[in-house]
Amino acid sequence: MEILKKAISRRRFLQVSGGSAAAGAAVVGSGGLGIGGLATLQEAQAAVGDGNTVVNKSICAQCPARCGIDVYTTNGRVHAIYGTADHPIANGKLCPKGHLGTYILYDPDRFKGPMKRTNARKGRNEDPGFVPISWDEALQTVADRLNTLRDKGESHRFALLYGRGWGASCAGLQGTFGKLYGSPNVAIGHSSLCSDGSILAKEMVDGNASYNSYDYRNANYLLIFGANFLESFRPYNNNMQVWGYIRGEKSPRTRVTAVDVHMNQTLAASDRALLVKPGTDGALALAIAHVILTEGLWDRKFVGNFHDGTNRFRTGQTVMADNFDERWTTGLVEWWNVELKDRTPQWAAGITTIPADQIVQTAREFATTRPAIALFERGAHNHSNGVYNGMAIHALNALVGSLFAQGGLAYQMGPSYGKLPVDADAFMDDYAKNGPHKGQPRIDLKGHPDGYKMAKNAIQEIAPNHLKGKPYKLDTAMFYYTNPIFSSPGAKDWEEALKDVFVIETSPFPSETAIMADLILPDHTYLERLQDAPTYPFQGYPMTQLRTPAVKPLYDTKYFGDTLIEIGKRMKGPMGEYYKALGDTENVLRHLAKGFEANPGDNGVDSFEKWKEKGVWYKKPYLWQQRDGEFYEWDGSDYRSQMSADDVKAKLLKTPSGKFEFVSGKLAGEAEWISKTTGMARERVPYIQWVEPKHTGAGDLHFITPKTAMHAEGRSANLPHAIAKMQPTVGGRREVCAELHPSVAKTKGIRDGDRIRIKSTLGEIVAVARVTELTRPDTLVLPFEHGHWAHGRWAERRGANPDEITANQSDRISGMANYYTGKVSVEKA
Amino acid sequence: MAKWGMVIDLEKCTGCQACSTACQMENNRLPGENYQDVLYYTEGKQPTPQLKWFPRPCMQCEEPSCMHVCPTRATYKTEDGVVLIDWNKCIGCKYCMIACPYGVRFYTDEKPLVEPNVKAVFNGDRKLSWNPPYKGPQQDAAKGIGIQPDGVVSKCTFCYHKISKAPKGTPDLDPANPELVEYVPACVRTCAPGARYFGDLDNPNSQVNRLISDKQGTRLLDHTGNKPQVYYLTGAGAAGSAVPGTRAAKA
Repeated sequence: MEILKKAISRRRFLQVSGGSAAAGAAVVGSGGLGIGGLATLQEAQAAVGDGNTVVNKSICAQCPARCGIDVYTTNGRVHAIYGTADHPIANGKLCPKGHLGTYILYDPDRFKGPMKRTNARKGRNEDPGFVPISWDEALQTVADRLNTLRDKGESHRFALLYGRGWGASCAGLQGTFGKLYGSPNVAIGHSSLCSDGSILAKEMVDGNASYNSYDYRNANYLLIFGANFLESFRPYNNNMQVWGYIRGEKSPRTRVTAVDVHMNQTLAASDRALLVKPGTDGALALAIAHVILTEGLWDRKFVGNFHDGTNRFRTGQTVMADNFDERWTTGLVEWWNVELKDRTPQWAAGITTIPADQIVQTAREFATTRPAIALFERGAHNHSNGVYNGMAIHALNALVGSLFAQGGLAYQMGPSYGKLPVDADAFMDDYAKNGPHKGQPRIDLKGHPDGYKMAKNAIQEIAPNHLKGKPYKLDTAMFYYTNPIFSSPGAKDWEEALKDVFVIETSPFPSETAIMADLILPDHTYLERLQDAPTYPFQGYPMTQLRTPAVKPLYDTKYFGDTLIEIGKRMKGPMGEYYKALGDTENVLRHLAKGFEANPGDNGVDSFEKWKEKGVWYKKPYLWQQRDGEFYEWDGSDYRSQMSADDVKAKLLKTPSGKFEFVSGKLAGEAEWISKTTGMARERVPYIQWVEPKHTGAGDLHFITPKTAMHAEGRSANLPHAIAKMQPTVGGRREVCAELHPSVAKTKGIRDGDRIRIKSTLGEIVAVARVTELTRPDTLVLPFEHGHWAHGRWAERRGANPDEITANQSDRISGMANYYTGKVSVEKA
Repeated sequence: MAKWGMVIDLEKCTGCQACSTACQMENNRLPGENYQDVLYYTEGKQPTPQLKWFPRPCMQCEEPSCMHVCPTRATYKTEDGVVLIDWNKCIGCKYCMIACPYGVRFYTDEKPLVEPNVKAVFNGDRKLSWNPPYKGPQQDAAKGIGIQPDGVVSKCTFCYHKISKAPKGTPDLDPANPELVEYVPACVRTCAPGARYFGDLDNPNSQVNRLISDKQGTRLLDHTGNKPQVYYLTGAGAAGSAVPGTRAAKA
């Protein structure tokens, strides 16, 4: 059998073709950081003997899912990680990343303690010349700098940027710090690099600025747009548990249609794979909606009906609004008349390249195989038209009555946390209340008419804004769990921008940000931390996890939450007093857990000690359900307490109308600004509609840079075992490959395995070509993974970073960076 | 005595490789050297290309050709049906690697898949091929368990250090059972979609036999006469996960 034979010969008998992908290898070192890697290794390898094995509860940190993990430690050394059996997300299982977490703890390139820079010159090729310092010196250096800025009335020039914040004891402390200190830039989140397109899309039509919770196990149909459910959609581990159930056990088996731009594992495992032209998912969704209306397949109990029950939705023909009684939606007929009546499958076929008959079949199945969920994420909304694409897809959920329904989708409740021991408002001095920072916009111009007025964050704008000095220049920037110098579009701008900023890096790993840093205040790795982590949207019911340290910190590191508190204690005035009263993060966590006394979790967690023992507090059920067009609240034993329209508006459909809006009231309220910034006619702004995506660059290929299953939000970059599994579908085992179609390869004279130059208007990168039928002929796929110029011996000098040639364009409405909208050209390198 | 066997349901397998990484950590494997591998392959053309995958542990054959060719009898079959290698007897001749129709045996003299070589970074003493920072506490050379020494062949042991401690007479090692979870092979324990089952093929009341019977369990390359103790279920819902066909090209 060919597949098996090749596997054998590849490994065993042919030479391992080191030439192509393993270029520049065999360099053992830690990137000129001046820290001894190998010496530490021996410390980490303290003898393993026959002692007792201890299992303690923690939470995985390799993606946002927050799976409960059992960490096996023998004689002080962690050697195995498995999923926690009584954890609602993990259920005893893990994804491929979870098991490798031990390696993050024992990464030989970790920082070993606080350090300061001695080389004043900064840049990619400058050795920072780090020298170890004490924690006291490190923390005092930061506090002195912040106190001085405040004395000068320039506290707004301090920014704290964060990525994967976990909970109330780390990122949750930042807002108070900014309030007491007086900076609009504490803290700026990474969500505009993540998935704000989806959050804004939902906010515009159903009023919830949030990700959804999904009741997959009770759904009979999944229609998935640009969310790689079986590789990179959270919670990945639980998604796969769901998949095993809905595809292998549930009767009837849940049918799945998946939409993406190249054949990935989700599309491969689905009943129908639709390979869509990048940026056109919204057109596909509109055509599906068109078919649902013309064929009369919408859910009358949720949406409503024509007075006489006769369907008047006919392609190309307008409908009298008076004829239709809407229930929990508004604007259906207006939407039809202005936009939807012409959005036929034939029209969409021309835009998306998906055959019209496939669109019709998908629409019929989706609308008649209920409960049905239409799910989308980054693939669909990482374009200039992202919010409109997302709204069109989410409208399908309204049309088939899936909002808040069993087998549909809802939103996430928060945990019953207790109050913090100290009230921050009592520690606000005059400066904090009325200082000059009050008149300053955020550095990223989030919320500002000159920037991204409706965005939640616009972190990608910081570097260009700082370089221009508009609205001002930053003085000091602190980074927590984010590395935009590597991961932001236009990544190279950050290399310039950070040269004249005092940079504080809190990562335990030698990141690119660290190379530019003036101070290193290294965090513990996750297996060393005591840290809370409330769930990401999951099943709706509230849940919060706790990491407990499996081992004492291997090195002289400090939990970021405590670093922030310790800096706070060194601040002048009442701010310092606040942090002295707050104490430390363990005190914070103990007070959070007091909330469980009145609300014990389903697993008996009613105290800090029990929380530590179980690793999770959760309380079922989710409190609301929509059933046959009526909304009910949980009455203690069932969803029986019927909700009024006002109640639904306050708790569930938080739009101006209290209904799902096909014509968005929130967009109408910002129509003037949106019209001014996008050129769209003002009166069209509120409608869910097709908008042509604006692609950046001038090449002939769409440049798509997805994350693979092993990506781990970048945290697997220095894990050799993860690198060897990074892109298995096309054999990217030393380095991820650029997938391109044979027709492109033939035209350009490229052979499989060649090195190719990928060019955009920003520059060029070099990657290994994988000639494959899996990718559309108009598309080049290169996973976002490699191209590190720091981050440890296995991460460095491997592959290329697509973000160096990805232009910084964002959706005007969401501020979401358009990672997947560039156009590039390729040639043989 | 049990005859341990595995059933892999391809309707459920999502090709995620968690079996591979769980196994790697449990058995101290080098990057890319997966006792439990997942093979990916493609067929067809745009706009209807096919991507498929096939999870492949050691088949733990009833009639293991690797055992029959071993000149030193290093490879042997245990009473409970598992094929093991005695690293004290193995001379590293690799006959077994040629004899195995499934390509599941490993020797450590190769160039590393990922540079820098972890064997140099995590340097073992002369007895062991490397010294991983996270190595498990188990080491039993006579059964081929633990860190592989240089100069010998290694393979999947069905996590023999776990299953051999299971209570006698257990029909299935179900990871959902808290009493049994520590005896379950790593790949079966972690499999998120629950595609893997592990039990006693000699017990007609075991779940593995129920599945093989109800869902027409098949064995890979059955014509070789090796009689694998790993069975695959290939029901109607198995889309991405599939037994390789002759038209497929490797990833």
